[in-house]
Amino acid sequence: MRTRRWTIAAAALCLLTAGCGSGSGKASSGFEAGADETINAEGETLTVWIMEGTNPDAEPFFDELSTAFTEETGAELDVQFVPWAEAHDKFVKSIAGGTTPDVAEVGTTWTPEFADAGALVDLSSQVESSGLSNDLVPGLVEAGTIDGALYGMPWYAGVRSVVYRTDLFEAAGVEPPTTWDEIVTVGKAIKKADPDVIPFPIAGDSEYGAYPFVWGGGGEIAVEEGGTWTSTIDSPEAQQGLEFYTGLATEHGLSTPAATTWNEADLSDAFSRGEVAMMISGSWTPGALLEANPDLEGKIGAFPIPGPDGGYSPSFLGGSHLSVFNTAENPDLAWALVRLMGTGEFAEKWGDQSGFFPGTTPLLEKVQAADDPLVSPFATQMVEAGASLPVTPLYGQVQGKKTVAAMLQSILSGDKSVEEASAAAADEMDAVFSRGS
Amino acid sequence: MASTLSPDTRTGTARRSRSAPEQPPRRRRGLTPSWLPWVLLAPALTVLGGLLLYPLGRVVTLSVQDFGLRQLVTGESEWVGLGNFAEVLADPLLWRVALPNTAVFALVNVALTVVVGTLVALLLARVGPWARGLLTSAIMVAWAIPAVTGTYVWVFLFDARSGPVMRLLGSLGLIDPETTNWFTERLPFYGIATLNVVHHGFPFVAVTVLAGLMTLPKDAMEAAALDGANAWQRFWHITVPLLKPVFAVVTILSTIWDFKVFTQIYLMPGGSGTNREVLNLGTWSYITAISQNRYGLGAAIAVLLTLLLLVITMFYLRTLFRQEEL
Amino acid sequence: MSAGRLGGRRLLVTLGGLAVLGFSLFPVVIMLSTAFDARANDGSRALLPSDWTLDNFRFVLDEGRFTTYLTNSLLVALSTVVASGLLALLASVAVSRFTFRFRTSLLVMVLVVQMVPLEALVIPLFIQAKTLGMLNHLFGLVVVYVAFSLPFAIWTLRGFVAAIPRELEEAAYVDGASWPRMFWSILMPLCAPGLVATSVFSFITAWNEFVFAITFLNDQDSYTVAAGLRQFFTQYGTDWGAVMAGSTLITIPVMLFFVAVQRKLSAGLVSGAVKG
Repeated sequence: MRTRRWTIAAAALCLLTAGCGSGSGKASSGFEAGADETINAEGETLTVWIMEGTNPDAEPFFDELSTAFTEETGAELDVQFVPWAEAHDKFVKSIAGGTTPDVAEVGTTWTPEFADAGALVDLSSQVESSGLSNDLVPGLVEAGTIDGALYGMPWYAGVRSVVYRTDLFEAAGVEPPTTWDEIVTVGKAIKKADPDVIPFPIAGDSEYGAYPFVWGGGGEIAVEEGGTWTSTIDSPEAQQGLEFYTGLATEHGLSTPAATTWNEADLSDAFSRGEVAMMISGSWTPGALLEANPDLEGKIGAFPIPGPDGGYSPSFLGGSHLSVFNTAENPDLAWALVRLMGTGEFAEKWGDQSGFFPGTTPLLEKVQAADDPLVSPFATQMVEAGASLPVTPLYGQVQGKKTVAAMLQSILSGDKSVEEASAAAADEMDAVFSRGS
Repeated sequence: MASTLSPDTRTGTARRSRSAPEQPPRRRRGLTPSWLPWVLLAPALTVLGGLLLYPLGRVVTLSVQDFGLRQLVTGESEWVGLGNFAEVLADPLLWRVALPNTAVFALVNVALTVVVGTLVALLLARVGPWARGLLTSAIMVAWAIPAVTGTYVWVFLFDARSGPVMRLLGSLGLIDPETTNWFTERLPFYGIATLNVVHHGFPFVAVTVLAGLMTLPKDAMEAAALDGANAWQRFWHITVPLLKPVFAVVTILSTIWDFKVFTQIYLMPGGSGTNREVLNLGTWSYITAISQNRYGLGAAIAVLLTLLLLVITMFYLRTLFRQEEL
Repeated sequence: MSAGRLGGRRLLVTLGGLAVLGFSLFPVVIMLSTAFDARANDGSRALLPSDWTLDNFRFVLDEGRFTTYLTNSLLVALSTVVASGLLALLASVAVSRFTFRFRTSLLVMVLVVQMVPLEALVIPLFIQAKTLGMLNHLFGLVVVYVAFSLPFAIWTLRGFVAAIPRELEEAAYVDGASWPRMFWSILMPLCAPGLVATSVFSFITAWNEFVFAITFLNDQDSYTVAAGLRQFFTQYGTDWGAVMAGSTLITIPVMLFFVAVQRKLSAGLVSGAVKG
C-alpha cells in the first residue's frame, strides 16, 4: 500500500518555492499593486463562485465576508453557489466561453486542468511577497503547482472517512469495524437489528467512495511512466478492491438500489433523514447533517476507513484552492479577496464553521490539537492514510467524463462485471491520457 | 370554454384552411416596387441565415476538424478529414446504445403519441360540448407543462425510494421498493421517458386530428352508416383516407420531435452522462462537445443526427408536395 | 341501434374521458400537491398533503433566487414574442402577397430549417456566441429564440395573410392609403388571430427552452427559469418540495396562457398544420 504522506510533498515544496523565487519569468499575471497593498475599488463588483454540496450552509459566512470586503476595498461581492455535481461542467463551459468568474473555489484535482487551459492566473509572486509561502499546507500547494507556477491559493483540505450513527451501532451491539470483513459483519448485524436502515449505501455517482477501496486493495488509479499515464484501475488489486466495495451492495445487500444513481449530496440527504447507518463521507458533512436534522445531535460518529486486514485504507486528500481567473478585470482586487478569505480571521472561521481543514499550517495544527471526536478520525485519516489522484491536467478530464462513476453504476446495476467495467474504465482513461489535452 | 370548438368556429376554420386562395399571387405592377418583398423579408432572412443556416454549415465544417479548447481560444483549426466520423462510427456505443436509444425510442413514441392522440380526438368528437370543453382544457394543461418541469415530475413519481408510483406499486406487492431502481436500467429508464414524451406530445395530435375530423363531410359518414358500415369500417375507410394529410403531418412532426429529444433524457438520473447505457445521439453529442470540449467530435455526432432527420424531412416534403402546390 | 349497445358505448366514452382526464392531469396534481406539502421530503407523504404550507414557495423565491429567474424569463419571452411576431408578419406578407424569383425555394427553405435539430446547432452557436461576446447575456438567448420560432410563425401567418381578401387591400389603395398604412390598418388587425397563435408559440419556446439556457448562461444573475430550476435541483439534493414549488411557478403562467387561448391556438394550428 503506497500512501503519499504530506511530509513528502513538504520536501518538494521547499524545492519549489526556492525555485520559483528566481524563476517567475512567466508572462505578466496582471498584478500591479503590491500583494499587501490596500486598494480602493469603489463601485466595482467581484463575481465569486463557491462550491456547495454536502458542507453546512455557507451563506452567513459569505454575508460577513462581503461586508468586510466592502469595508476594506469598497467593492461589492457577488457570491454564487455552485453545486459540486455540476461544477466541472460549468467551469469547462465558462472557460470555453470566456465567462469565468473573477475568483472561484476550485477543487484541487481540477486546478491543473484549468491552469493548463490557460484560464487561471499565476499567484506565486503574490503569495510569496505576502510572506505566505511557508505557511501553506504543502500537499495543497503541490496540487496547485504546474511548472513552478502556483495557480491556486490553498483554502482548505478535506478527506473522507466513514461517518456513522452511534445509536444504531449501539442498538445492534457492534463497534466500528477495523477490517473489511468486519464492515460486512457489522453491516449485516445492523440490517438484522433494523431492516429499514440502509447499513452502508454505495453511491454510484460518487467516485470518492470507491478510491479508498482501490487503494486499500493495493491498486492504483493510474501510473506515470516517462511522462505518459496509464490507467491501472483494471489491475487485479484494484479489481479486488472494487469487487469488495460494490459487493457490499450487490452481494451482501448492505446498500439499496436507489443508491446506484446517488451522488454525495443524495447520500447525505438519506443520512440526515435517518435512513443510513454508515457512509463514506467528508469531515465537512457532520455539521451539515446536524443542520439538516438537529435530532441527530450526539448520534454521529466517525472512524477512518479500515484496511483489508486492519490498518487504514487510504482516502483521497482533497480540498480546494482559491483561484483567480484570467477574465478578472481587476486582478489586484481579486487577490485582495483571496488573501482575505485564505488567511487569518476568515480562514479560521471558515474552518470552524465548515469542518474543512484549513489550508495554512498554523491553523491546521491548531485544529489537530483540539482533539474533537468528530474531527480527529478525519485528522488521522489525513495524516496516516491520505492519497492523491494522478496529478495531471488530464485527470480533470477523466473526472469530467465521469469515468469512475459510470464504472460504478454499471457494476451496481448489474450491467457489467467488475472485470468488464474496470477494463472499460481503463480504456476510457487511456484514451484521454493518450489524446493529451 | 364550451364553445371552444363549436360548429361556428369549426366551419370558419374549415373554410379558411380548405379554400384559402392558394393560386400563385399576381405580381402587383405599378403600385408596389419589386424590391418591396425583399425589404419585408430582409430582417427574417438575416436572422434565419445567421442563426440557422450559417451554424448548420458550421457544424459540418466543425465535424471535420479537431476543435477543442485550444482551437476555441486561438481561433485556429486543424482539419482531420473524416477522422471524427471514423471515431464515432467505430465506437460500439453508437451501434449498441446511442442509435437504438434514438431510433427505437422515436419510433415507439411516435406510434404511441399518434395512436393515443387519435383516440382522444375521436373521443372528443363524440362527447357533448360541456365535456369536450373540460377534456380539451385538461389536455391543454398536459401540453402546457414545460419539458423541464414535466421531466422532474416523472422522475419524482418513479424515484426509487420516495416516488409515489414506486411506493404504490410497492404497497400493492408488485415490486420490491428495496431492490428496485428503474433509472439504472435502460428499458425502464426509457419507459419512463416514453410516458413523459407521450404525455407531452399527444395533445398536439389530438387537437390537430380533432380539427381535421370537424372538416369531414357529415353526409359521407351518414351514408356509410346507412350502408351498414360499423364504426371501425367508417373510421378506416372514410376518416383515415380523408384525413391522410393530417395524419402525415402529425406523424412526421412527432417523428422529428421525438428523434431529437434531449431535455427529457438529460435531466433524468444518469442521463447527463454517468449512465452510458442511456445516452442518445442528442445527449451524446452535447456531452462530448460542451462538457468535454471535443467540439469536432460532438459536431460529427450532431451531423449524423441531422442526416437522419434530413431523410425524414425529405419524406415530409414529398408527402406535402403530393398534397398541394406551394 | 339497441339501447344496450348505446349504453355500453356511453360507458366506454365516459371511461375514456376519465382516463384522458386522469392521464393529463395526474402529473400536475402531483406537482401541486408536493409543492404545497410541508412534508414533501420525508419519504412517507400521502397523495395529498396532510400539512399545507407555502414555505416551499417562500424558500424558492427568496433563497432560490427565483424572483430573478422569473424576471429574466419574462424579459426573454416577451422580447422574443415581439421580435418574432413582427419579423414573421413582414416575411409572411412578402411570400403570400407578392410573386418574385426564388419565392418557392424560399418557402421550401423555411420548411426545411424548421426540421433542423436545434440540439445540433448548440455547438456552433455556442462558439458564435462566444466570439460575439453574447454568452451570459439575455439578448443572445433572445436572438436564438427568435430564429427558432420564426419558421413556424412565418408558415402559420402565411395562411392567415393569404386568407385576407385582396379586395380589402385594393379598397385601401383606392382610398389613397400608402402600402405601410394599408399594412398597419388592414393586414395587421386581420392577422390578429394568427399573431396570437404564433405569439403563444414563441412565448412558450422562449419560456421553456432549456439546452441553450444552460449552455449560454453561467452567471446566476442571468439564469432563466429552466436553467435556474436545474441548478436549484442539484443544489439542494432531493428537496422535492422546493423543486415542485419552482416547477409550479414555471408551469402555471404557461398553463393559464394555453387554456385561455386554446380556441385560437387550435385555429392557428389547424391552418398551419393542416395546410402545411
